[in-house]
Amino acid sequence: MIPNLVCLLILAVFYILQSTIFSRITLIAGASDLILLFLLAWSLQEEVKNSWLWAVVAGVLISIGSAMPFFTPLVGYLGAVSISKLFQRRVWRNPLLAMFIVTFLGTLFQHAVYAAGLIVSGAPIAWIESLDSVTIPSVLLNLIFALPIYAIVNDLAGRLYPLEVEV
Amino acid sequence: MMKIFNSRNIQTIVIILIVGGLLFLALSGYLTPIFNLSLNPLISLERWLSVRYISARDLLTTPSDVTALREQNAVLESQVTQLQTQLIEMEERLGEAQVCFALLEFGRTNPQYDYIAATVIGREISPFLQYIIIDKGTEQGVRYGMPVVTQQGLVGRVDAVIANASRIKLITDSTSVVNVRLQSAEIEAQLLGSLTGDLSLNMIPLDEIIQPGDVVLTSGLGGNYPPNIFIGQVLSTQQRENALFQTASIQPIVDFSSINAVLVINNFQSVDISPLIPEQ
Repeated sequence: MIPNLVCLLILAVFYILQSTIFSRITLIAGASDLILLFLLAWSLQEEVKNSWLWAVVAGVLISIGSAMPFFTPLVGYLGAVSISKLFQRRVWRNPLLAMFIVTFLGTLFQHAVYAAGLIVSGAPIAWIESLDSVTIPSVLLNLIFALPIYAIVNDLAGRLYPLEVEV
Repeated sequence: MMKIFNSRNIQTIVIILIVGGLLFLALSGYLTPIFNLSLNPLISLERWLSVRYISARDLLTTPSDVTALREQNAVLESQVTQLQTQLIEMEERLGEAQVCFALLEFGRTNPQYDYIAATVIGREISPFLQYIIIDKGTEQGVRYGMPVVTQQGLVGRVDAVIANASRIKLITDSTSVVNVRLQSAEIEAQLLGSLTGDLSLNMIPLDEIIQPGDVVLTSGLGGNYPPNIFIGQVLSTQQRENALFQTASIQPIVDFSSINAVLVINNFQSVDISPLIPEQ
């Protein structure tokens, strides 16, 4: 119960930080996504079993607050967490490398979903322009913030799910 | 007579004469070298002793002075810090007051509209979209479709509203289209946003001559925005071969990256003309 409450609180804090501060820190037209980074880092933790639940919670939360086509953020976060889960089992010996890889791939997937959703809903968006101006700068910013977010989430997971030692 | 010149009286007279002579010699300056010779060692000794005393006194009293000075310095430093904090607060208030004054000035110069002042509290999370979130909603009278301006010019329109907050679609959003006119040439065109937040004019006839610096205003066509709201100036024009229209880049007057406060025009009724547009 307590881990879920703490996770919900952290998610709310990250949402506020993202909306008020990190959305203003832009590189060309790209911006980092703290919630995506949180979900990716959270799902990379071995002891965490309910990362899918948090992907759904964050996706619905962002879908309600954002002007993106409805449920596009949900699809983006679920896909990114799927990638993260895939790499958690394959690159489990080097979690930092895994974090960087899933940040790169997760951001690409999320932006592909966003661009596709907007194009389907009628926005005049060109794929190349979105890649140049939004996606690549966003990937760069996400990679910059990936390390501190991973450190925070790793520490948090260690406190919420202490390892059981057999005597 | 013999009693007068006895030995004791003679001794007294001699002493008086010697003293009187010494006084005479001293007053006449004949004894100065002798005085110097005798006083110089005394003065030297006094000086030596005085210097040592002052040194010893300083040694004993200075630490307490340093402590007092340090305390005084700490008090002054804290006062400086407080004053700097007050200065920063005052500067922030001055900035807010300037923004409010500018908004008020805009309201005075455009008295035909009623305004709701709002503070920008957030931005759209997705970098693909250009939206801001303000702290006024339906409880304060904000409704869907209301135009939003600053003291400088057009910002956008209300896209979604809840009780105490609203989402504003900026004119720089890639899905935004605003009908505008060029003030100098009386040309009507469409202002389009983009992914990067750049503004461009489209649908400008090829035979029209537009110059960099021409002022762009809302035309009021389409019923989404009131007419004659300042948007920006023409930066450059582009003409492509075989194109039906020329395009132009627009420098917006509003700095969309640093909007802190806006005005919602609450007595403008936007008209939805989409049912009148024939389906393609």
